[in-house]
Amino acid sequence: MASQVPPGVPVDREQIFGMAQQEMEYRVDLFNKLTQTCFDKCVERKYKEADLNVGENSCIDRCVAKYWQVTGIVGQMLGSNRSPLG
Amino acid sequence: MASTTPAEGAPAVAMGGDGGGGGGGGGGVAQLRLPSADEIRAQDIFNNCAVRTAVSGVMGGGMGVFMGMLFGALDTPLHAETMTARQQFVHAARTMGSRSMHMAKTFAIMGAIFSGTECLVEKARAKHDTVNTVTAGCVTGGSMSARAGPQAACLGCAGFAAFSVLIEKIFDRHE
Repeated sequence: MASQVPPGVPVDREQIFGMAQQEMEYRVDLFNKLTQTCFDKCVERKYKEADLNVGENSCIDRCVAKYWQVTGIVGQMLGSNRSPLG
Repeated sequence: MASTTPAEGAPAVAMGGDGGGGGGGGGGVAQLRLPSADEIRAQDIFNNCAVRTAVSGVMGGGMGVFMGMLFGALDTPLHAETMTARQQFVHAARTMGSRSMHMAKTFAIMGAIFSGTECLVEKARAKHDTVNTVTAGCVTGGSMSARAGPQAACLGCAGFAAFSVLIEKIFDRHE
């Protein structure tokens, strides 16, 4: 999204650095939210053992895949259609 | 491309690589360490259902060998007085051997079916419950006594399910 510089725009070092920083903040935020969401959804609060079960592992796999898909779809909808829906 | 490199660096930094966790708190507190790539791979291997089935089968076979030797040793021949000590020993060894092999096979199959079913059910449901244990116990008990008819299969299912839930509760208390 933010990684493509349209041709013809004057390349400014500060601008690129700002964009990279923004992208990194976005990625870190996405990672944190993803981890928090899937942890809350999949791991029971009764910590009976330190390792993840097979069930929890499979739940986290599915949760991450779905979250990523949702992120992609929402990103596409936001990116393509600038006007608010509805 | 320049934006993906810092982005990929960020999760690595956030995850701390291997062993980068902070050691805050008092002096006696154990340091928290995020799992290394090796540990994650080892866990992944053990989470594989086929590996779990094989491991349980082997463990069941080992247990069957021990139980077979135990039961075989208790099985004294009928005409014990007419045989010499050496003959008794040979007979006991043969009985123990055949019993061990038979029990090892039975227990290995039982362990493999139980572990495999439990792993598959848990993977499908993505939940850690007693329902997985009950289902696996029922399938194991039912399949072991399926030859004796449907009623025996139902009884075997219920009995083995109850037994496996009991064993699970006992292990839960220890861990």
